[in-house]
Amino acid sequence: MGILLFISVLLVAACGLIYELVAGTLASYLVGDSVFQFSTIIGTYLFAMGIGSALSRYLNRGLVYRFIWIELLLGVIGGFSSALLMMAFAFTQGFELILYALVMVMGILVGLEIPLLMRIVRDRYQFRDVIAHVLTFDYLGALGASLLFPILLVPRLGLVRSAMLFGLVNAGVALWSTYLFSNQLSGARSLRLACVLVLCALGVGMVEARHITATAEDNIYADDIIFARDTRYQHLVLTRFKDDLRLFLNSHLQFSSRDEYRYHEALIHPGLAAVAVPRRVLVLGGGDGLAVREILKYLQIESITLVDLDPEMTKLFSSHPMLTKLNDMSLLSSRVHVINADAFPWVDSNTDSFDFIVIDFPDPTNYSLGKLYTTAFYRAAARHLSAQGLMVVQSTSPMFARDSFWCIVQTVKQAGLQTFPYHVYVPSFGEWGFVLASNHEYTPPASLPGGLRFINLEGLPALFQFPPDMAALPMPANKLNSQILVRTYENDWKDISH
Amino acid sequence: MKVGRRKFLGAGSAALVGLSLKSDRPIAGSFVNDSFQMGHMLRDRASFPPAKRVERFPVVIVGGGIAGLSAAWRLRKRSFADFVLLEMNPQAGGNARWGENEITAYPWAAHYVPVPGPKAEYVRELFADLGVLRDGQWEERYLCFAPQERLFLYGRWQDGIEPAVGLTQKDRDQFQRLEDLFAKFRASGEFTIPLELGRTSKFQDLDRLSFSDWLQQQGCDSRLVNWYMNYACRDDYGALAKDTSAWAGIHYFSSRESEEKGPLTWPEGNGWITRRLLERVGENVRTNEMVHRIVETKRGFSVFSGDTEFQSEFLIFAAPAFLAPYLIERFPRLDDFVYSPWLTANLTLERLPDSRGAEPTWDTVFLDSPTLGYVDATHQSLRTYIDRTVWTFYWSLVDGTPAQNRQLLLDKDWNYWKEAILHDLERVHSDIRQCVSRIDVMRMGHAMVRPAVGSVFSQERLRLAQPHRDSRLLFANSDLSGISIFEEAQYHGVLAAQRVLERLHGRH
Repeated sequence: MGILLFISVLLVAACGLIYELVAGTLASYLVGDSVFQFSTIIGTYLFAMGIGSALSRYLNRGLVYRFIWIELLLGVIGGFSSALLMMAFAFTQGFELILYALVMVMGILVGLEIPLLMRIVRDRYQFRDVIAHVLTFDYLGALGASLLFPILLVPRLGLVRSAMLFGLVNAGVALWSTYLFSNQLSGARSLRLACVLVLCALGVGMVEARHITATAEDNIYADDIIFARDTRYQHLVLTRFKDDLRLFLNSHLQFSSRDEYRYHEALIHPGLAAVAVPRRVLVLGGGDGLAVREILKYLQIESITLVDLDPEMTKLFSSHPMLTKLNDMSLLSSRVHVINADAFPWVDSNTDSFDFIVIDFPDPTNYSLGKLYTTAFYRAAARHLSAQGLMVVQSTSPMFARDSFWCIVQTVKQAGLQTFPYHVYVPSFGEWGFVLASNHEYTPPASLPGGLRFINLEGLPALFQFPPDMAALPMPANKLNSQILVRTYENDWKDISH
Repeated sequence: MKVGRRKFLGAGSAALVGLSLKSDRPIAGSFVNDSFQMGHMLRDRASFPPAKRVERFPVVIVGGGIAGLSAAWRLRKRSFADFVLLEMNPQAGGNARWGENEITAYPWAAHYVPVPGPKAEYVRELFADLGVLRDGQWEERYLCFAPQERLFLYGRWQDGIEPAVGLTQKDRDQFQRLEDLFAKFRASGEFTIPLELGRTSKFQDLDRLSFSDWLQQQGCDSRLVNWYMNYACRDDYGALAKDTSAWAGIHYFSSRESEEKGPLTWPEGNGWITRRLLERVGENVRTNEMVHRIVETKRGFSVFSGDTEFQSEFLIFAAPAFLAPYLIERFPRLDDFVYSPWLTANLTLERLPDSRGAEPTWDTVFLDSPTLGYVDATHQSLRTYIDRTVWTFYWSLVDGTPAQNRQLLLDKDWNYWKEAILHDLERVHSDIRQCVSRIDVMRMGHAMVRPAVGSVFSQERLRLAQPHRDSRLLFANSDLSGISIFEEAQYHGVLAAQRVLERLHGRH
């Protein structure tokens, strides 16, 4: 009986921690500012546990009976906490109030558990053994939960079902306790019935979780900002309208989930599929992992180095369930190495060579970003090209910013590379342009990876044709000391908006 | 409104935690690189220890600024390494010294070199050697990045330093008139860099006249024109137009082809050149060597520094010429060498201040400020994201005589200059005090030679610049030209080395 008893301590402790983590994570996702959310939720939770411990002295009779009821209550409240919070965010104005009330209630219940358990078993062991064993398993349970949560639960089950799973565990412990302490218990039968009811409710919840999430999300994300954060480097906003997820960096649209496949397939496949034996790929910018998702379709590629300035960006796209779904968890692949660094100094100091280089920076809207569109930068990047290597540069719109597009083409050319400009239509962007560049002639690919939705071999040659309204213009190259591209770009877009 | 909010916050937090809200960050700093003490020991003929050691070199170079380092560079380029360069300060470089902190390297004085014209052969040769000029192309990352300069006037920014907004027709006419005149002077071929290569007596009269008098003769009474002309003189000569030779004032505007490529510059300014030169000649350079006496001997010179006597056949005196009468025995006094006192400061910024919406530029100037503005050391950084930086703040003290201003530099403490600098910056960057964590101030009593009226054609200067062909003493400093710019210092340094080499080779 001893070990079984202590395993239930371990499980109870794990449940307690999971509810706390669920609340913290959910609040971070929904409201943002994870440091604040986690700090205040952990603090409130621990404080509530203290209250629970203090209250435990007022419970004198029927300890087992009350312990089992506490487990059942926790199973219900904790198990449905995630779903409840999502609904609260989606349908009420008082998310924070409900959040902290819930955290208080759960904390008080969790705070009651261990003191009660200790008192229940105190007659069976010496006092010092009770303390030692109970606390040991309590902490072990906490460790197990804190490892399971990020590694297995959140990626596999999601927040709603993780909470419910542990609600089931709580209710399970309750049911089990009716047998474990049957000699100290009267009226075990009605308790068992209650346990079975709670288990059923949570079981149904597990199965139906998808609907709960969808109902809540539809309301949360209907044409709304679902995530906004000022990172050290940029202002990052995710919006969603029905099934369209959009990322904005400093108010510039980076992708729309409805048509980003067009952009990213076009960015990657015309170049990468044309490299005979691609082994190593470098991606500069592209912290959303969407270009990497396309690159991972080439199984012979051994390593992908992604250099993106903002660690919060790559972290977000490695962890947020909606975003990892979009990029197929590309940033978590063992073939991908994420480096958070400023691209130009990194390119300057690194000496590796790559078979394919993707340059996917935000448009040159200011002089800082403009540095990444200069002959000096392309020269530095080209030093990393292997003999068979190709480079592709996102080059803004040849339609709306025609001067800018051809200025970038000219800049790549003056950096000593051959250029092969092409363009595609991305509904949320309009006509969009890219430049392939290399030290040798470009031979279009003979095959493409399977499963592409936009790029196909028949359509490829047409991408390299520019109709008269986008045709080449004589433009000077963009240099660090002139930065004519920034001004050109500004004028191009000014013309559009008037 | 702003004060009200801050007070409210302060009171609120004071009530909550018993502390008042911290407003301005504490600013650390001190005077750095002071050389007053050493200068005054020489001036007051303090007694120095007797020589205990003798070292012999065919050539000794006194002074490790750009002139001395360039002489050393030329000697070593011609495979002559049997020489020593003695520098008084702990760091070589003179007006091309630099500093470095965890954010960036930054200049202590000169911070750029204009793209050299065809006449500046030695500069082009040096830049080819340093990889700045490759196959006729200037290395892109050493050309000043855009945007380069901005002027704050009438509560707003404009591109470039020459006032271009709020001009009346009169202002415009006068700017245009001057531009036409300068173009004619440029076409005459008299105003060149190096100065010596073009100068003839043709426009000697202009040296007898101050630049401000000349401007007046041309009918230039526009306030903005005069501000700009004065700014140019303060910036390059450390003097007002009224204390500058008209010939030199015209030289500033007529010696370079106008071209849009912009100057060559580095985070540490011309310190970058010093570093590259030291990579090439560093083993011949000895710092902390304060020469206190130079005696001409039968075979050459005895140069006393510390307790060492350096005996040499040839002496390249690359320190400022005004020191010669104090150092070289029986050297006649010099009257035509006037020097301007300067103050530079390096400000460490923990964040970028409010700049009224403008993106940072390389050089920032405020209209009607007594200072020269500041240069941003991280402007030449290849990084796209910059949140901390170092500004080098320049101030040539021009009101009053150089002697008065030297005394001012000595009299005022660091706090005085700190406040003066912040006060100047605060007019434009209102939150500057919350951004700056450190201000180091460098005072220079004789920062640069001043092309005063009559100095460009001074006989005294010409004598030093063109030594007798048997002379074993060769002067090499930008003050031989009378204008303190990199190209002149480098020219005189290389030329002195060239002359020494000819003599050495001629003999063997």
